[in-house]
Amino acid sequence: MRTNRTILLVWNELKMNTVRAEPVEAQESIHISTSSMRTDSWLKRAGSILCLLGFALPAAAFDFGSVDWKKAAETVQKVQKANADISEPQEITLGEGIASNLLGAAPLLNNPAAQQYVNRVGRWLALQTERPDLPWQFGVLDDNDVNAFSAPGGYVFITKGLLAQMHSEAELAGVLAHEISHVLRKHQLQAIKKSARTELLADLANDAIKTNGADPKFSKLVSAGTEVYARGLDKNDEYEADRMGVVIAARAGYDPYGLPAVLQTLQSLNPGDSSVALMFKTHPALADRLSLLDQEMTDQFAEQENQPDLAPRFYKALGAGKK
Amino acid sequence: MKNIVALCLLLGFAQTVWAGGFAYTIRPTELKAKPFSDAETLASLPSQSKVEVLKRQASWTQVKSATFTGWVKMLSLQLESNAQNKRGDNGLRSLFNVASTGRSGSTVTTGVRGLSEEQLKNAQPDLQALQAAKRYAVSSKDAQRFAAQGKLHAQSVDYLQGIQP
Repeated sequence: MRTNRTILLVWNELKMNTVRAEPVEAQESIHISTSSMRTDSWLKRAGSILCLLGFALPAAAFDFGSVDWKKAAETVQKVQKANADISEPQEITLGEGIASNLLGAAPLLNNPAAQQYVNRVGRWLALQTERPDLPWQFGVLDDNDVNAFSAPGGYVFITKGLLAQMHSEAELAGVLAHEISHVLRKHQLQAIKKSARTELLADLANDAIKTNGADPKFSKLVSAGTEVYARGLDKNDEYEADRMGVVIAARAGYDPYGLPAVLQTLQSLNPGDSSVALMFKTHPALADRLSLLDQEMTDQFAEQENQPDLAPRFYKALGAGKK
Repeated sequence: MKNIVALCLLLGFAQTVWAGGFAYTIRPTELKAKPFSDAETLASLPSQSKVEVLKRQASWTQVKSATFTGWVKMLSLQLESNAQNKRGDNGLRSLFNVASTGRSGSTVTTGVRGLSEEQLKNAQPDLQALQAAKRYAVSSKDAQRFAAQGKLHAQSVDYLQGIQP
């Protein structure tokens, strides 16, 4: 919010053509004083201020040869808007687009029993969270890669390759709860904001994008959203999803050690195998994730030690699903 | 073949899937007679002790050392590389046709579809698949019924404070 206000302040000063900004140390300490300045150079400075604030702006907005005042103003407003949260319906629409892209990359596993089972586990977990009413939707992807994904608005996918590394419903719950946490904390939206597509996200927030599929801007935003999975989320977002995931599994009545058990299994896989390449590349080291969970999961979980892992139901649901 | 695997799973194969793998202690670790902190200590295992993994129960893993069978904290162990494979197929791989490739190399992009970095960057939407996926969504009522069948009881647990890595 403070950044928002800073931009507004900068912009008001710019309009008066009397700004001299000296970005000293960090974003928070931008110091503004006034003195007269030539118009062509203050625009440059405006650009550098905004860049310092961490926003990527299209070069066209700062074509210094012919200053497009209106466009420059629009850009600043857009960036302001991007910093505001997009609405929940917008988040869901974007997530739906990303989910359909993920399904374009890997098809759904043709196993209705497995799909229904994973949806039931996932929905029960989601009910234990601060966003129980999102249109939560889970799916198993027919892919040998060992990975799981979630998209804004409540879309969660797990590959059959990862499912085949698990030993109980509590382990499945741990992984789904990790993915659910990314949705709860809007980690994918944060990642898109940090990408070069901040502007498109702002357009979405601004209702300047038609989401009926016909607007090329929407496709671009969805593509940018999908690229996040190739690049990975912020390390700290992964750690946060780990420590939220074990809590959500515990709230749902499961043995809370399902997630660390899966991470431990993954640690024993050959890191050179192509099926784990992207998952290993886009996540912090498993040893670090396990070490943090080991330190964080203290006595608080003693009461949940004897909660069931429902291994028999896991095998029954998945094993009996394929006749 | 698939039916046989399914049958094994139904008959409680789950209990044995953990057997057969090995692990190393990653720190000095007490081997307990039972999976409790205040249980009798059978032995003190130094770091890098090799043990056979039997099964897991919450935060405890049952292991077999050279002289004792007992319990250690799960997170004091690191599974031996590829222990999963030595531990044996948990049955789901054959059911789901999961190729155990052993391939190496980071980016094998043989087809248009797939979940590699490049394939994700070039993914095209499949709206039909999205509609198909939606058919499997369940209501909160259904989820609650499912939880009750599994005797899962909702608990009140606070989120954890993060530790700086």
